[in-house]
Amino acid sequence: MEAARLGAAGAAGLHKAFCPKAARELVGNVDAFLFDCDGGSSDLVWSGVIWKGEKLIEGVTKALQALRSMGKKVGFVTNNSTKSRKQYVEKFRGLGISVHEDEIYPSSFGAAMYLKVNNFPQDKKVYAIGGDGILEEMSFAGYTCLGVTKDANKKMELKRGFKFEHDKSVGAVVVGLDPYINYYKIQYATMCIRENPGCLFIATDRDAVGPLTDVQEWPGTGSMVGAICGSTQKEPIIVGKPATFMMEFLLKRFNMSTSRMCMVGDSFPDVLFGQNSGCKTILVLSGV
Amino acid sequence: GTKNSSSGCALHWATWQTLPSTRSGTPNGQPESSRHTSARANSDHPPPPPPPAVACATRSHPIQIRKPPFIAPYLLKHPLPHGTPEEATFLSSSLFLCGGVYLLVGGGGDMLGSRAVPHCPLALRAALPSTSGSPNLAAIGQRGRRLLSNVFLKPCSPSRAAAAGRRRSSGWKPRMASYSAAVRASSAPKLENADALIDSVETFIFDCDGVIWKGDSLIDGVPETLDMLRSRGKRLVFVTNNSTKSRKQYGKKFETLGLSVTEEEIFASSFAAAAYLKSIDFPKDKKVYVVGEDGILKELELAGFQYLGGPADGEKKIELKPGFLMEHDEDVGAVVVGFDRYFNYYKIQYATLCIRENPGCLFIATNRDAVTHLTDAQEWAGGGSMVGAIWGSTKQEPLVVGKPSTFMMDYLANKFGILKSQICMVGDRLDTDILFGQNGGCKTLLVLSGVTTLDVLQSPNNSIQPDFYTNQISDMLSLKAAAV
Repeated sequence: MEAARLGAAGAAGLHKAFCPKAARELVGNVDAFLFDCDGGSSDLVWSGVIWKGEKLIEGVTKALQALRSMGKKVGFVTNNSTKSRKQYVEKFRGLGISVHEDEIYPSSFGAAMYLKVNNFPQDKKVYAIGGDGILEEMSFAGYTCLGVTKDANKKMELKRGFKFEHDKSVGAVVVGLDPYINYYKIQYATMCIRENPGCLFIATDRDAVGPLTDVQEWPGTGSMVGAICGSTQKEPIIVGKPATFMMEFLLKRFNMSTSRMCMVGDSFPDVLFGQNSGCKTILVLSGV
Repeated sequence: GTKNSSSGCALHWATWQTLPSTRSGTPNGQPESSRHTSARANSDHPPPPPPPAVACATRSHPIQIRKPPFIAPYLLKHPLPHGTPEEATFLSSSLFLCGGVYLLVGGGGDMLGSRAVPHCPLALRAALPSTSGSPNLAAIGQRGRRLLSNVFLKPCSPSRAAAAGRRRSSGWKPRMASYSAAVRASSAPKLENADALIDSVETFIFDCDGVIWKGDSLIDGVPETLDMLRSRGKRLVFVTNNSTKSRKQYGKKFETLGLSVTEEEIFASSFAAAAYLKSIDFPKDKKVYVVGEDGILKELELAGFQYLGGPADGEKKIELKPGFLMEHDEDVGAVVVGFDRYFNYYKIQYATLCIRENPGCLFIATNRDAVTHLTDAQEWAGGGSMVGAIWGSTKQEPLVVGKPSTFMMDYLANKFGILKSQICMVGDRLDTDILFGQNGGCKTLLVLSGVTTLDVLQSPNNSIQPDFYTNQISDMLSLKAAAV
């Protein structure tokens, strides 16, 4: 089973050298492989599990084909909420990998699923700080979503008697990565959380920084979340890594126990995410 | 007596300490890196010579309080990751010697510090990122006590106990704030005898939003009340966390509202940021990056500091394309963050780069208020959100110069040569104004003409109780002493 050599995960694991025998063993014991995709935003570089820069890492396509042909389930997890699953499929395709919508799990999808799983009422609205990915996923889940890029250019006139209006039927505020963050959005989210009774405060993740360009790190969702925490003095519910919501959701999806899953990542937080849930973990050294 | 520390200490004691100029023999300009070095040195080498002392001066008696030598062994046993909020919190907390017991008093962004002095066995601030809200003193006290008994509690030597006793008798009155308030069943009383209060103090410090004005509208009875207090010989000071205007600009606002207040009586957090940098001898060849509005820029200019940023960066856009690199000025030695309605991602990134990449770069916050009254109609997200954003991307705790940090209080007391027990702080917010007054050891009067309602004051969730409350400051005109 040379094909089982798993090009992408071929680098030495932390604890065991990933020789063909170990590979076969692992593949035999595991029914699903989760790959971390993190580090990137819309048009840019993703971290070193699947590709580095514009180049696909050698053997990745072969490895994925091999896994699928063995009947293994494959999943791609990312904290980047700027795109929806559909948009990620396009992204993958543009970089040479064919994946199915059901194999991708961005935190935008995670946020929508959190609401669904917790029976968020359809007559309530969602206010989102983030990219259109959140808007799309919310729509697919049947929820009305306000905010995102529509509010990127809003300005306000702070005159005597001016009242900032907000929609009283917003029942949840979702905060994701947003390079178009501004005071209008902060104020809108603040008003919803403070004044709409029972309004949820959900965050896709709290990553402080991420390599949004290939040459430098940029502030992550952690800063948007920090802003809303600062004005509401409330803590959010996290749906992305390393919180385990996504994992629990995946377990139900795949209908298997975590011991039959393997998390493949290029950094320790990914390994942690896997270990927190009781999966096997592979650390890939082709990345950071 | 013992020598005073370097001003490297001042970097951490902004919330707690008087200005270096009050101490005799001022050493100067120890670079920021020395703080890191001393923390790291503790984990590499045997305990160093006694760490620097901290001065907590009253008008007549500069007091030396020494950090006990076992702080070094503690750090050896529990080395704190360098540059983390945990380290900042620990380094910025004070270990006091009082009555033979070492008390660890919290630091960091929240001002729990002085609440522990001296009766409370412990008020240990857990080393968590600060999300300033009303502290739950009872819980922290218990947790602190447990931790203290495991780690710190050591009876001091007889000579130290004697020294502590001498300090007490020499007139140092510990500023005991309301730890007891946390367990006090009853709420603050309504102000009945205004005359008694007025006679018992020499200075009134007023918060502005919600006390003097609401948005741009004057609250009624204010001019007459201020006139009355002045006619009785009281000094008036106006302290506001709002950093959007400079002192000069506030002077104009007072004038427009028909109040005669001089610039020298106004202390905005914009001024506090500049005054703080002055107090630590921030080098003139270093720059300050400002996430905030015009007030901060004006005050920095007046103080002679170079700055970048401010409202102009509100127009800057970024393109997240491959190969795009945001440059930042390596001479930026401090980032000052305050309320900023032109807040955007460019500023977050610029500030983050300076703090993460410029060695020793300070992260200063004018205030962490969650909400603010920009208009008289409602509340708006406040400086706490801008500071929260920068905290979220750098994971560093800021040095807070505005309320409830006592920096401005210490500055005032020093400038006017007044005793803090002779001051009454009047404000509308519990977690900034009243806490500010209590931390400073002043009397406190809460007014209900601003953000706090009677329900909030009397709620079981509230642990901050002022000395008195009243509806608005003009009540002081109408409330008379009980018939003699």
